[in-house]
Parts: sequence; C-alpha cells; structure tokens
Amino acid sequence: MEHVISAENLTLAYGRDEPIITEAQMKINPNEFVFITGKSGSGKSTILKSMYGELVPKRGDLKVCGVNIKSITSSKLNVLRRYLGIVFQDYRLINEWTVEKNVMLPLMIGGFSKGVCLKQAQKLLKHVKLLHKADKYPLELSGGEQQRVAMARALAHNPVMILADEPTGNLDEYSSEVIWDLLKNAREHLGTTVVVVTHHIPSTLGIDYKHFFLESGVVYEVS
Amino acid sequence: MRSLKNHLSVILPLFILLFSLQFTFLMEKIVKNYETKLTQDYSIVVVASKPLSKAVVKSRISGIKSLEEISSKKILDRLKGNISSKNISLLKIALPKFYSIKLKAFPSIQEIERIKKELLASGFITKVETFSKTHNKIYRMFQALKNTSLIFSVLIVIISLFLMFKQMKIWLLEHKDRMAIMTLFGAPFWMKSAVLYRLVVVDSFISTALVGVFFIFFPKFDNVKDFTSSLNITIPKFNLVHDTGILLGISLLFSLFIVTIVIRKMNKE
Repeated sequence: MEHVISAENLTLAYGRDEPIITEAQMKINPNEFVFITGKSGSGKSTILKSMYGELVPKRGDLKVCGVNIKSITSSKLNVLRRYLGIVFQDYRLINEWTVEKNVMLPLMIGGFSKGVCLKQAQKLLKHVKLLHKADKYPLELSGGEQQRVAMARALAHNPVMILADEPTGNLDEYSSEVIWDLLKNAREHLGTTVVVVTHHIPSTLGIDYKHFFLESGVVYEVS
Repeated sequence: MRSLKNHLSVILPLFILLFSLQFTFLMEKIVKNYETKLTQDYSIVVVASKPLSKAVVKSRISGIKSLEEISSKKILDRLKGNISSKNISLLKIALPKFYSIKLKAFPSIQEIERIKKELLASGFITKVETFSKTHNKIYRMFQALKNTSLIFSVLIVIISLFLMFKQMKIWLLEHKDRMAIMTLFGAPFWMKSAVLYRLVVVDSFISTALVGVFFIFFPKFDNVKDFTSSLNITIPKFNLVHDTGILLGISLLFSLFIVTIVIRKMNKE
C-alpha cells in the first residue's frame, strides 16, 4: 500500500540553525488517524509544516501523497496543497472575507463554479453549526467559532489528508467536541487521513489511532 | 474611505505620468506644425553666374522642395531713372541670376552650413544667403522647448513610477496575509494577485479618462484660445481613439509591470 506520508531519515532545520528534527522515520497510511505529540518547542508544528511544503527537508526524504517535498516545484506544490486540508492553531482566516467565502476558498482554487462552492460551503457551515453566521466576518466571531470555520474550510474540498496544528488548543469544550467529531467523521465517511499535532490526546475519542511522540528532535512511534 | 484613498494614491501618479506624456506629445505636434509653417516661409537665396535647374541643385542638396528664379526686373526698374536704357541693357546682361530655394523640412544649423558649403562648392554659385542668424535663433528656441518638455516629462515619469512602486508595496502589505493563506491552499499566482491586478486596471482606466477629459476641454477655454492665437499656434485636437489608446496602453503597461515586479519581489522575500 502506498503511504500518504513517508519520511526517511528526515532532518528539518530553519535556515542554518541547528536541526529541530533529526533522522526521523515516519509512515502514515491512507485513512489513518495520527497524533503527533511532544513538549512545546519539540518540533511538532515543524514536522507539519514540512508536510504541506512550507519547510523543505534539510536532509533525508519526505514524500507526501507520493510527491517528494525536497525536489518539488512551486507549481506542483500548489497542486499538492489542493489535495490537503490544513487547520492552524491561529485559524488563518481571511478577515476581509465573509465566513462563507472563507469556507469557499479551497473550492474556488479548485475551479468549481460559484453555485457548487456556495452549496458546499453552506453544507459545511451547517455541520459546524455556524450557518446563521455565514455573512459575518471572522473578527465578529469567537475563537471557537473561528476554528470551526477553519475546520469547515479544511474539509470543503474533501481533501485526501487533513493536517491540523493544535486545532483545539485554545477552544472551549463545545467547540473542541465539534472539531473532534468533524475529524472523526471525515476519516470515517470520506476516507480522509487525519494528522493532528496536539499536546494532549483526548481520552474520549473512541477510535484507533497512530501516535508519534517527539523528544529532543527524535521521533518515536508509540505502540 | 480607505479604499478611495488607496485608489487615489495610484490614480494621482498615473494621472501625472499620463498628463506629462500627453503634454510632451502635444508639444511635439505643436512644434512640428510650427516648423511646417516656418518651412513654408523659409527660403535660401542663391546668386549664380549661370542659369540653374532644380535637377542641378538637387544633385547637391537632397531636401529641396522648389527652386524659383527671382526676377531682376524690380531692381532694374528702380534704376531706370538714374541710368540710361543702354546701360540698363548692359547691366541686365551682366547681372547674375538670383534664385530662391525652398526646402522640404526645417533644417538644423548643421544642415544649413552643409547646404551652404555644397552650393558654393559648385563653382557657378557665387553667393548663398541662408538668413542663418534668424533661422538659428528660431531653431535653437524650438530645440530648447522640445528638450525642456522632454526632460520635464522624463522626471515626472520617474517620480510617478517611484510613487506607484511605493503604493503597490503598501497594497501588497495590506493583501499579504490573504495571499499567504491562499498560497497555503494552493492558489495559483494569478488568483492570489487578481485583486491587485484588477485595482491597477481600474485605476489605469480612470486616469486615462481624466487625462482625456482634460485635454479635450482644456483647449476650449477662452483664455487658452486667446493665448494660443496670440502665439499664432493651434493646439492639435485630442484624438479620442488614437490618443486614448496610446495613453491607456502606456498606463496599463506601466501599472501592470510595476504590480508584477512588486508581487514577484515580495514572493521571493
């Protein structure tokens, strides 16, 4: 089976700084639910960044959906990113756009018609229980609501894989539950691979998952 | 309000840039028209020991438009009272031939000198009067006028481009977050930058329209009419299709070029 993510001796560093991750080995299969945990500054977000091509490996190989990130061209990276759904801890919503338009973004990039984009955005906003706020702007929403919008955006184009960076980090219990439910549903019903960087794995999740733990720049697979 | 200010920050330098270019084009046309007028009035007088033909003169100077003989009758008529008719007849035979040469284009000072040299080198042309003093004065004035307007325009264009660069950078900073987010979702270059391109295209149209309106209505003011007629010049009409096309083309070219440069530079950073 082709791995969705395959890292061989992956070393990551910012510029000429000391490596943050050294010689990491990781294999993630399609439809897996994966947690990457570790202390603050251990390099969890750095690994995620390399998975969506924001950081090029210093040494070793990293393949995402079969594409080698080390030698990827910018146009191919654009194409790869259209198959990914990314969720950031700081939401990264476009504040000048309405909630609805934010959710439509990946579909617009995918070249879907306005009608299709609108229908899908409304469907997802209903899922995250924010349809009544479709015309609002992100800054008019609470942090939890903004993260739910970001989750709807990440799911809008039925991505092959969702990469979520501490998606429930600053959220209230209700919003956290909505986010975990959405991620579980995406994996269960759409066959999406889910990679979540987090400090704590929720105990009430009730699903099988793979767990990578980071310490002192080394990646351990927890069995 | 902020959006209007943003637009004005581009429209204004673009307007100034187009205005100065159109002004230079206009000056070129006015000077050219005036030169044509002067060329019609300007002629070189030559004194020849034998009759001249246009072909002979043309073999020496290429830009000749016409060659006309100046009749000596008027001079001889004036002398009739003082000199006997026999002497008049002798004088008529002895008098050299006078010709007036008209040129196709208004010559430069160097050209005048060359023409004079060429004609005198023929051997049978004994004197050439180019009225160079008057000619040179007018010619130098025209050159100064043209050069001043050109230098003025170049400076304005540089300043305008600089201002536009600055404004594009401000725009880009305003749109940086949006563009970064779109990049993370795989948006192609054109999609990320579409807003900026749309803004400069709209502003190019507005600036062109404003410059067009100015140059259509400005010559129609009574004060302008009085001024130009006192100088014996006519302001060429603004050609709605041709002139607007050129201005819009220049404006789009400059603004699209600048926005592309700024986006590419920012992407690299």
